[in-house]
Amino acid sequence: MLTFLLKRLLGLLPTLLIVSILVFLFVHLLPGDPARLAAGQDADAQTVALVRTELGLDRPLPEQFVRYFANLARGDLGVSIRTRRPVSTEIGERFLPTLLLTLTSMAWAVAFGLIIGIVSAVYRNEWPDRVGMTLAVSGISFPAFALGILLMQIFSVELGWLPTVGADTWRHYVLPSLTLGAAVAAVMARFTRAAFVEVIGEDFVRTARAKGLKERVVIAKHCLRNALIPVVTMMGLQFGFLLGGSIVVEAVFNWPGMGRLLVDAVNQRDYPVIQALVLLFSLEFILINLVVDVLYGLINPTIRYR
Amino acid sequence: MFERFLLAAGLLAVAAAPAAAAGDPILAISGQPETLDPYNTNTTLTTAVTKSFYEGLFGFDKDLKVRNVLAESYENSPDGLVYTFKLREGVKFHDGTTFDAAAVKANLDRVLDPENHLARYNQFNRIKTIEVLSPTSLRITLKEPFGPFINSLAHASAAIISPTALKKYGKDIAFHPVGTGPFTFVDWKQTDYVKGAKFADYWQAGFPKVDTITWKPVPENGTRAAMLQTGEADFAFPLPYEQAKMLESNKKLKIEVHASIIERYLSMNVLQKPFDDLRVRQAINYAINKEALAKVAFSGYAFPAQGIVPQGVRYAHKMDPWPYDPAKARQLLKEAGYANGFEATLWSAYTTTTAQKAIQFLQQQLGQVGIKVQTLALEPGQRTEWVQTAPDPKTARVRLYYAGWSSSTGEADWGLRPLLATEAWPPKLNNTAYYSNAEFDALLAKALVSTNDAERAELYAKAQEIVMKDAPWAPLVTERNLYATSARLSGVYVMPDGNIDSGEIAVAQ
Repeated sequence: MLTFLLKRLLGLLPTLLIVSILVFLFVHLLPGDPARLAAGQDADAQTVALVRTELGLDRPLPEQFVRYFANLARGDLGVSIRTRRPVSTEIGERFLPTLLLTLTSMAWAVAFGLIIGIVSAVYRNEWPDRVGMTLAVSGISFPAFALGILLMQIFSVELGWLPTVGADTWRHYVLPSLTLGAAVAAVMARFTRAAFVEVIGEDFVRTARAKGLKERVVIAKHCLRNALIPVVTMMGLQFGFLLGGSIVVEAVFNWPGMGRLLVDAVNQRDYPVIQALVLLFSLEFILINLVVDVLYGLINPTIRYR
Repeated sequence: MFERFLLAAGLLAVAAAPAAAAGDPILAISGQPETLDPYNTNTTLTTAVTKSFYEGLFGFDKDLKVRNVLAESYENSPDGLVYTFKLREGVKFHDGTTFDAAAVKANLDRVLDPENHLARYNQFNRIKTIEVLSPTSLRITLKEPFGPFINSLAHASAAIISPTALKKYGKDIAFHPVGTGPFTFVDWKQTDYVKGAKFADYWQAGFPKVDTITWKPVPENGTRAAMLQTGEADFAFPLPYEQAKMLESNKKLKIEVHASIIERYLSMNVLQKPFDDLRVRQAINYAINKEALAKVAFSGYAFPAQGIVPQGVRYAHKMDPWPYDPAKARQLLKEAGYANGFEATLWSAYTTTTAQKAIQFLQQQLGQVGIKVQTLALEPGQRTEWVQTAPDPKTARVRLYYAGWSSSTGEADWGLRPLLATEAWPPKLNNTAYYSNAEFDALLAKALVSTNDAERAELYAKAQEIVMKDAPWAPLVTERNLYATSARLSGVYVMPDGNIDSGEIAVAQ
């Protein structure tokens, strides 16, 4: 197990290296001149040239490339073109709010998703299933933007129970996490139901029932474990996406997260920030995959690590 | 169960009460300031924030009229080259430094040094020398006469920063603003707010009238509107047009609608067929119903453009909008040899909903006279690459281009020269029509060095009439600024150029 973890963690390095090279090249291939963008509408050619030298963008691409990697190796992610602040600060300020929002959304999304999915599978084609799946389909098809605005209108504007924007207290988390989690909960419910329906039809379930186990035990112990594998995979993926920051939810609730940072960075061709964010997102996905792999083993002891 | 829910809800309600405290108003704006160094930004909204901390020798009032701020008066030599300023006495910077002529010189020297790489360099590069005559007297000599010089000093970016702080912070002055303004800098949390506190030694007795000011960037239109309704913000700009009616019925809010100097236009690349033909350009002007455009895309918060430069800008020349006459448009196209119309591309400089609606509407209008246009809303990177930095005018891909402008100096010069002068062809500035008329250029050049008001007005009027006649643009609409404040707030205005005047901010108790 330990060697497995070590091997996987070492395997990170080449992946990240390839990602960072590709990102560097792609970012510089994008149309758009960061110096022109940073200088603004009123700037003339002379001013743009000044800004370009200031940002080091007048140097040949290979030199910028070498410099970027030399700095990266020392752990220096560079300075944002847009705000002239260190990229590590820019990301650091936003990482925690995004992480906490992701965790809260995932927590309730997983809880609701699992419950709805299991209930739907157990009462397949009966009214709890119909209600559950109607909810799930609505959750998937209702746009997050509209849901966010609607929740804000009801709970903040009309009822005045919850604040609209900010990320300071737990009350600030309620509406954004509901909005962000709705789609995830819906996907989880559909996945759980599908996996469960399949497992319920298996022979060992019949055996378990035949030997006189209570239905509750059959469902919670025998079925759940076996149905969890695809669900956990799905969870990992969703978690990774949410960690990237949700552009829509962050815009609606003015959440100081990474989705907005990425949009601003791409719009302004803020190369250092885009590069660092993509690198971070790849790292997150790799780590989450690793955690998911470990979870497989916990759920199903027949899975071995090599 | 249900009772418990209600109880919980009740607790929530008591705990929430998010309204801003009295005397600490929160102003919600659409974007983050990218810096707090007024010399290093070209974003109007950023200077709206820096004005809380900084003042210049001159400033614009809420109607864009120039007023004296740190300068008490000035004299201009007859040849228009030498300006002598008398400065206000008894003004202190936030750090205790005394404001004097040397401080002004230090600031101008800083922006004029190319080594400092400041984005506002071109606003000041006509200055030749700056001499300190006495602590309250300053002389600036220009390389050539420059009519809008005082206007360029009134611009919010021409702020006077404490020379002590400039020395202390260097480049980091962008994160530690120290000026003479009504508020001292408290805190800037990039993702959340910029906060200032009342400056006790402010030179204007009785101001500021609030203890703190907080600027909160909130990019989403609907969210700003919601914050007004919950009392989490006292001011919001801009607002979604669709919600204006609903906000208006709210007794706790005041809705303000004022004409702006933001003009939306359609530029046509006159170097390229078929737009090299005046009749085609006229046809396009005739083909667009500007009244309907204002209603459809701007929900009525715009009106047909009254010429090339909007009213409210100094030396703007009022002209009747081009009449809507599709029959005439078709006739002109026929004369030009395009009886069956032609195909063209229409780009928008923005991706906002309003811009999308506008180009769709234009597409439909032009389609009615046989011009089939493909539309594309450019995101900022594409815009700079394809339009603003296109290296060769002959191969530039821009054809029909929907864009907008507001003259940041409040003068006709900056509403015409960067957009229509021959010297302003991309990649230098924004003459996306690649329009070139020697007579027009000469008029602008002459007006720029003239120091006679009446003469300048006449020169600019002529220049604007020439553009209207040559029709490198289809002038579309002038926008109206829509904003709202809470009933308790006063003294905050959105200026016609989209900047915000918050010097007299006050909150009723």
